[in-house]
Amino acid sequence: MASMACFAIVSKNDIPIYEAEVGSAPKKEDLAYQHQFILHAALDVVQDLAWSTNAMFLKSVDRFNDLVVSVYFYLYNNIVFFNLMTHARFMLLHDSRSEDGIKSFFQEVHELYIKIFLNPLYLPGSRITSSHFDTKVRALARRYL
Amino acid sequence: MDPLRSYLGRLLLEEITPVVMVLTTPLAEAACRKSGLSVVDMLSPFSLFKKIDGDSPPRCSPLPIIVCVTLVAFHSIGFCDLMGNPLYAVPVRTASDQPYRLQMFKIRMVYASDVRKQDYEVADQRIKPVVSEANESALPDLLSDPPQLEDVLSKPEAELCPLWIKKFNRALMRTLSFSEHETFDHPVACLLVVSSKDNEPISKFVDLFNTNQLPSLLNEGIMDPQILKHYLILHDQQDGPQEIAMNILAEMKSTLGLNDCKLLCINSSTEADGADAENSWLPYIKDFMQDLASNHIIPYMEQKIRVLNQQVATTRKGFRNQIKNLWWRKRDDVPEAANGPMQVFAVTLFFFFNRYTFTSIESQIRVLGDYAFMLRDYELALSNYRLLSTDYKLDKAWKRFAGVQEMSGLCYFMLDQSRKDAEYCMDSAFSTYLRIGSSGKRNATRCGIWWAEMLKTRGQYREASSVYYRVSNEEEFLVYYTTLMEFSNVQEPSLHSAVLLEQAACCYVLSKPPMLRKYGFHLVLAGNSYYISDQKQHAVRAYRNALFVYKQHPWSYINDHVHFNVGRWYGVLGIFDVAIKHLLEVIACSHQSLTTQSMFLNDFFHFVQSMGKKFDVYKLQLPVINMPSLRVIYEDHRTYASDADVNVSESIWQELEEEMIPSSSIVRTNWLEKSPDLRKYKDSCVCVVGEAVKVRIELRNPLQIPVAVSCISLICQLSTSLDASSAVNSVLTTGAGEDIANTKPAISTFEDDGNNFTVSKLDIVLGGSETKSVQLEVTPKVEGILKLHGIRWTLSDLLVGYQYFEFDTKRKTKKGKKGPRRTLSNTLIVIKGLPKLTGCIDHLPTNAFAGDLRLLKLNLRNQSEYAVKNIKMKLSHPRFVIPGDLSEVDFEFPQCLRKHVQSEISTVSTKRTQGDAKGLLFTFSQVFPSLNVSFAIRMCSSRLKEYIVRMDILNRTPSESFILHQLSCNDSKWAISSLPLCDSIRSIETVSANQSVSCFFKIKDLGTNSCKEAENSSCRSDMLFLSREGNSNTEGFDVSQSPITNFHYQERYQQGRLAKGPRDLLDFILISKAVGGNYSKSDPDVQLLSHHVCHCSAIDQSPIWWFMEGPRTVTHDFSKSYCEANIQLVIHNSVQHNISARVVTYDSVPDKSQTVNLQDSNSNQGGWYDVSLENDIKAISTAKGTHYQKQPSESISPFVWCSLSSAQVDLKPDTSTKVPLKVCIFMPGTYNLSNYQLQWKVHSSEVGQVDENQRSGGGQGHPFYVTVLQDA
Repeated sequence: MASMACFAIVSKNDIPIYEAEVGSAPKKEDLAYQHQFILHAALDVVQDLAWSTNAMFLKSVDRFNDLVVSVYFYLYNNIVFFNLMTHARFMLLHDSRSEDGIKSFFQEVHELYIKIFLNPLYLPGSRITSSHFDTKVRALARRYL
Repeated sequence: MDPLRSYLGRLLLEEITPVVMVLTTPLAEAACRKSGLSVVDMLSPFSLFKKIDGDSPPRCSPLPIIVCVTLVAFHSIGFCDLMGNPLYAVPVRTASDQPYRLQMFKIRMVYASDVRKQDYEVADQRIKPVVSEANESALPDLLSDPPQLEDVLSKPEAELCPLWIKKFNRALMRTLSFSEHETFDHPVACLLVVSSKDNEPISKFVDLFNTNQLPSLLNEGIMDPQILKHYLILHDQQDGPQEIAMNILAEMKSTLGLNDCKLLCINSSTEADGADAENSWLPYIKDFMQDLASNHIIPYMEQKIRVLNQQVATTRKGFRNQIKNLWWRKRDDVPEAANGPMQVFAVTLFFFFNRYTFTSIESQIRVLGDYAFMLRDYELALSNYRLLSTDYKLDKAWKRFAGVQEMSGLCYFMLDQSRKDAEYCMDSAFSTYLRIGSSGKRNATRCGIWWAEMLKTRGQYREASSVYYRVSNEEEFLVYYTTLMEFSNVQEPSLHSAVLLEQAACCYVLSKPPMLRKYGFHLVLAGNSYYISDQKQHAVRAYRNALFVYKQHPWSYINDHVHFNVGRWYGVLGIFDVAIKHLLEVIACSHQSLTTQSMFLNDFFHFVQSMGKKFDVYKLQLPVINMPSLRVIYEDHRTYASDADVNVSESIWQELEEEMIPSSSIVRTNWLEKSPDLRKYKDSCVCVVGEAVKVRIELRNPLQIPVAVSCISLICQLSTSLDASSAVNSVLTTGAGEDIANTKPAISTFEDDGNNFTVSKLDIVLGGSETKSVQLEVTPKVEGILKLHGIRWTLSDLLVGYQYFEFDTKRKTKKGKKGPRRTLSNTLIVIKGLPKLTGCIDHLPTNAFAGDLRLLKLNLRNQSEYAVKNIKMKLSHPRFVIPGDLSEVDFEFPQCLRKHVQSEISTVSTKRTQGDAKGLLFTFSQVFPSLNVSFAIRMCSSRLKEYIVRMDILNRTPSESFILHQLSCNDSKWAISSLPLCDSIRSIETVSANQSVSCFFKIKDLGTNSCKEAENSSCRSDMLFLSREGNSNTEGFDVSQSPITNFHYQERYQQGRLAKGPRDLLDFILISKAVGGNYSKSDPDVQLLSHHVCHCSAIDQSPIWWFMEGPRTVTHDFSKSYCEANIQLVIHNSVQHNISARVVTYDSVPDKSQTVNLQDSNSNQGGWYDVSLENDIKAISTAKGTHYQKQPSESISPFVWCSLSSAQVDLKPDTSTKVPLKVCIFMPGTYNLSNYQLQWKVHSSEVGQVDENQRSGGGQGHPFYVTVLQDA
């Protein structure tokens, strides 16, 4: 069954620092901007929810027809070290899918992201261009999604 | 908020009102036509009755002016008397006994022919004009700038959504009028209008209410045909006197009823226009309408409510009735209409279609509820609706159930009671409508709109927007987001969904906090739907409003999509300039696929072509100009060189220039020197009239499609007068920064400057993702200030892009030769023509061997028309490059060296007037080691002023062979000669790779006075290594000629700094030729190498020379006596001081501390002494000759010195003295007469002239062998 998923990491300033179409469905050029539209619009909802919940993983924060947006984000308010990471949001646009898989996917990507983040050459908030990261994320997507 | 004052409240008050069905005769219509109105149009404005102190203005309707005037005159119509005194609202009494007042009341006047359910298609055709009408008004808006964030947030709610949307909503709801399951649209009364001109008006009235003409609702038993009738005779004053009408009225009253008949006289004014004349008949209309409402309709409704309420109470209220009802419904799925008043015909007719006729209790409850709703008795309405909903639910009559739920939701709202209940009712109504399929869709839409309005009234905007979104989704089962890019089949419902989506978007802005991203997204969705339904203006408007949301956010695909569509649609609308502006944002999209890129580009070019003219675009993104790569290459007082030389590090130039040119800072710091205007430009660079200034810059094509870029040229400005340019300059400096484009003069001013300068134009084609570096030139023609402003180019022959250089920021890399001292500016001072020299060296070798001797010709050409004088040349390595002489230019090398001259560097000067120095730089890249030459010099012990030299040559090249050609001394007082036993030192001539050779020869100091002697002798200062006899090329080179001498001086100076030897004797010059190997393929004669070894000195050096002179062979008869030999010791003073020398002879054995030579002589025993060379070597090699020390006890010396044991002589500088000595020999043999010692002391007049070590000293005698033979 062809599934569709679009994964994005959105930085503090609502700038996408990483995007990947990770579904097994054949990629369509037309859909790229549609996914961006949905994810971008979902930020509004995420922004509201972020202050009302402690959970890192928010499933189905927003939906557009049969597409669902799930979000994983941090709010390390008290930890100085992670201050810079605050508000990096992982957003996954997917059709209906198992919640557990998505959660595991987010957790693993979180680890990868921290590795990228600890790289002294990586400027926080800049675009993630590491091809290694990209391959890893896609591999995780194949495994969990 | 009072629900009645809210928008939805007013909407309900206006829309859910009693309907009066109007039946007219054609003649009555014709009478009204005179005013341009139909009967309904004429009556409608007077159907709204408001309380006098109501705050809302009269409803504005698009009526002709006559009615508007009326409205102005009677804006306070309502329940007021004819004199205009306000009456308070009519007291209304419904089911309860408590009367209350209506604040506002409205009657809807509808033609009987319109009282029917409309087809969807027809209904949609009616709605479409509402949207299209707004199209025209939207057009001017599209030309203005798109709204910004602040604009949107600061807008009041009413303006956020266009006004026509409300009109649209209303129209959408009206399409649902007169449905079967709702009774509030069913006519309450019937107004029959007959003209006074009609024949037999009474029978016309009867005919009008003929069942055949009545709407189907009445005929089909859905509603009660027994409705209130009202008869109106219409009399046109212009057709005759009023008496006719009065007669008819009297007749009507007698037949049709006293109260239900009215006369209305119209067109009373005599003037045809009747607009502003006294429309004395208009108050009658108002009067009539008021009478109709207050005296007929409201009482009728009140009465009906009471009757129905009574009926419902008896049949349904109470515990018994409820049980009965429940039981009855369960028993039979098919309801029996039998418990109502029997209308058997109707029941049987519609039994299969509709089980709820007007006689059924359900319908009656519904009528009761609706009437109560219309008369604002919401409590009563609600209780009935609730009663009804359970019935319908049990009956599974879902559509009716939903309709009842909807109304109860509205009742809750109007009562401002439980919000939750209201929402629950609307929700269930909405979903129930959806459940029943396509027939309920439109109802669901209306329900949704009401629901959303309800939520909006309560400030729940976010919920409202989601409702809108749901509604729009149902309206069109959506394909819009997948078919965005193509022209899909035009679907009408998408228009509705577009409008609804736009409202949803507005709600997102209004919610707290504003959800702008959602706003943008829904606007984009709305825009797409608009576009699909062919409403391009609205589509553009929606997208434009969303633009600010996506501005500055690098969500690349979103930006591309929005800008592309906005641009494309503007283009379709024919507004090309805005279209191109938007498309410019997307044409440089490197992240899109090839097809998308080409689609963007094609559309863009298409619109540009449609514009029909070329125009300029600032900062056109195609191609991308790589600003940091900008380099300005200009020729100032120094630079005119090839590209490779331009990049030479600055320090090299500085080093060379140090002494040659006066520092320009020193020149210019004097404030008296320059005029103030020029001082401003003192840091500017300099270029020359007639010479091109080059600008190199990189262009990159971000797309995968090749693009043709033509006419790439510089934007320059050349101002001839300093004042004008300084004015411009000040403008530019103040405006530096982001709005540089505004402060810069327009491009057009730069174009027509062809008289002052010319610019080069360049055409290239950039392939996909290609980067090219282009070089542009500007050639000034007059003096002045040249400014390089930017670059312009033509893309695909369609449009001109230009971009200004950014010189202001620090990162600019411009070719500032002087490093930090020269600021980087775009301003160049154009100065009068300068001489321009081109210099080149032909056949400049890239690599050479150490000692390689080359002739290099520097050709200087003056390309300009100005003369040059005072050309100076500076060599960074004067040790290696020696300038030659002008006269030597034409000599052939190396033949010219043969007793002639050689020229190394030649300079050419042209016409001489005014000078300036130019820099030229030539470098050898590699120098390989070739031959190592070293010399060891020893004094010759047997001759005065002679030395023996060993020359060691090591070839260090891996593959080359060298022929040794000539060895020369630097000074003619030295003569080189071969060793006595050899003919020459030419035993070696070729040194092959890695070979090491040594050779010995002798040099002789001829002294300054002995040059003549040297001429005669065979000794010369040059020694040829002749390769073979008869070789024609074996002429020696003249080392005293200029190049070799000059090199030699350089070498001598360099080596002298390193050498620490006390005194140097002479220098050697070895000239060799390279043969063989892979390097020198050419004529070996050309490859000359010269090696200079300077400051060679002898290993042992003393100020005096001495040697023995005397017979070598003596024949003597020892039988007679001992032999006496007379010998002389010649002592020569070679220094410039007086020396006193003392000769001491020993007869005894010298002590152990004596030199080796002394030991030799010591060990001599009587008789023959072996003087073979072997012994000498042994003696040298072994420190102590143990062999000879075995005979130390031999005390008898075979000879004794006899004349003196010591002698002292004084020597003047450079003189020789002979000291006679005599030796007595006692037996024949060969004797070494070396057992003497010489001690000297230098009497120096000036202390320090002579080395301390050499002031005094001593030496053992040199070996001198005398052979004494027995005389026979």
